[in-house]
Amino acid sequence: MTVRLAGAGIGLRQPHYAQLLGAPPPLGFVEVHSENFFADGGAALAVLQQAREHWPVSLHGVGLALGSAAGLDPWHLDRLARLAERIEPVRVSDHACFARAPLAPGQAVVHANDLLPIAFTDEALTIMAGNVERVQERLRRPMLVENLSSYVSFADDSMSEPEFFARLCRRTGCGMLLDVNNLMVNALNAGLADPLGGCCTFVDALPQGIVGEIHLAGYNETGEIVIDDHGSRVRPDVWRVYEHALTRFGAVPTLLEWDTELPALEVLLDEAAQASARLARCTA
Amino acid sequence: MNATPAAEPHEARRQRALLAAFNAAASAVPPELVLREQDARALRGLEAYRANAEALGERALGAVFATIRLLVGEENFRHLAREHWLAVPPMHGDMGEWGAEFPAWLGRHRAMAEWPYLADCARLDLALHRNERSADAVFDVASLALLGENDPARLFIELMPGTALLRSAWPIAAIHAAHQVADETASEAAFAVVRAALAEGRGEQVMVVRQGWRAVVQVLPPAQAEWTASLLQGASVAAALEEAGEAFDFASWLQAALREQWVKGVALLGD
Repeated sequence: MTVRLAGAGIGLRQPHYAQLLGAPPPLGFVEVHSENFFADGGAALAVLQQAREHWPVSLHGVGLALGSAAGLDPWHLDRLARLAERIEPVRVSDHACFARAPLAPGQAVVHANDLLPIAFTDEALTIMAGNVERVQERLRRPMLVENLSSYVSFADDSMSEPEFFARLCRRTGCGMLLDVNNLMVNALNAGLADPLGGCCTFVDALPQGIVGEIHLAGYNETGEIVIDDHGSRVRPDVWRVYEHALTRFGAVPTLLEWDTELPALEVLLDEAAQASARLARCTA
Repeated sequence: MNATPAAEPHEARRQRALLAAFNAAASAVPPELVLREQDARALRGLEAYRANAEALGERALGAVFATIRLLVGEENFRHLAREHWLAVPPMHGDMGEWGAEFPAWLGRHRAMAEWPYLADCARLDLALHRNERSADAVFDVASLALLGENDPARLFIELMPGTALLRSAWPIAAIHAAHQVADETASEAAFAVVRAALAEGRGEQVMVVRQGWRAVVQVLPPAQAEWTASLLQGASVAAALEEAGEAFDFASWLQAALREQWVKGVALLGD
């Protein structure tokens, strides 16, 4: 197997299993949601074991809830560590969000199973850095933390989001998973006069060397707010921010995310090819 | 003297308030959230998260309890999923783990009283789901030799991971099977079987086992159900045979068990 250190990848999704494994395309990597493979055994895990024979696998979590003041769920960390041992992933990532909290003081901690926004404050940074360090110690490897798309934000933030990530990466040694589509969704929801410019300014504010992966996806703007639904092709403005990010950070492994209204595999591979072409231009 | 409780840190308080706001159909934004968005825009943002949680809960529960979804209908199931989320929220970040308490909760639900078999049908759905997530195992062929060489009181038969036995006063296997049939004629015949079983007040004892990667349901005669229950409880072969009684044919069972791969292996006490 040829391991590609950079390149475009796609999500490994159940409706595409047979087609992908029947004629494996030359992808840079495939990415899965870690939690979908936490079971002790079963068909999905067997497919993932098979997939890792063809491509490097990136484990992308949606449930560590790294920003939770209530801390990490030891059960979750155990399952992730077991999966990482089984799969030997090329990267492990999760989000800069919270999901675990009690519903009332003193009550049991529940898990919202969503990517809920955190404030960009010193206290939130300390919480997240502690949780990230705990994950990295357990997995014995650095992880990547992804910026969110969020539908509410906090008026008492004491630092910008790029500064939060810069400090988090410096403090813990983790990297950043830069979701370019999330930047655009947030810019549109914030009503920025120049969303493209706002996204590029965000990219420029990030230090060199911290971005270990980029995510691209489509969004839905049919309602009152723009929803990051990962259900369509990458928008032209998001491609432009991506090109800007590649110019700044160089060839960074890039995932085409498509989680709802899953299209034919050919469509997904076409999107990945468009990312690959931009990656090639950037290294030429 | 009671100790003074430590003050809740600011971010912990904010996160708790945000989670509570998602769970309630709030008409105003709790001030402790300190949101940048104002009024209607802030409420719309909170609503986006609430809608996401509802859709996720319905999808996750529906994937496990497919029979219940079909029995009660889409609209009822959507309400049940939301109610269950609020009553028994997920504790872990793997939605495949959520729903363990759904069968018992359903059994206590007053609006579901007209379907007294629902809870047991849900238990069967859950057993099938868990079976398909259980560890993969290979039959230890060599261990079979122990059966012919040792005292049955010192022998134990281990069934495959995920094997479950359910005893119900309702025809749960027939109900489950009727909801798997897509063909209209076959479906009518399957539901006729269910109606007849319900009219007779006939219950079923079923075993859930894996066939390839899929979990399947086997209806068991009473003696085999006793035998299986004993094995699952860790009884010796001698004790399980005694529980199963005269009607149990061990040789036939062993043949079926090896053919269908129900057994993981045989162990000897003290080994």
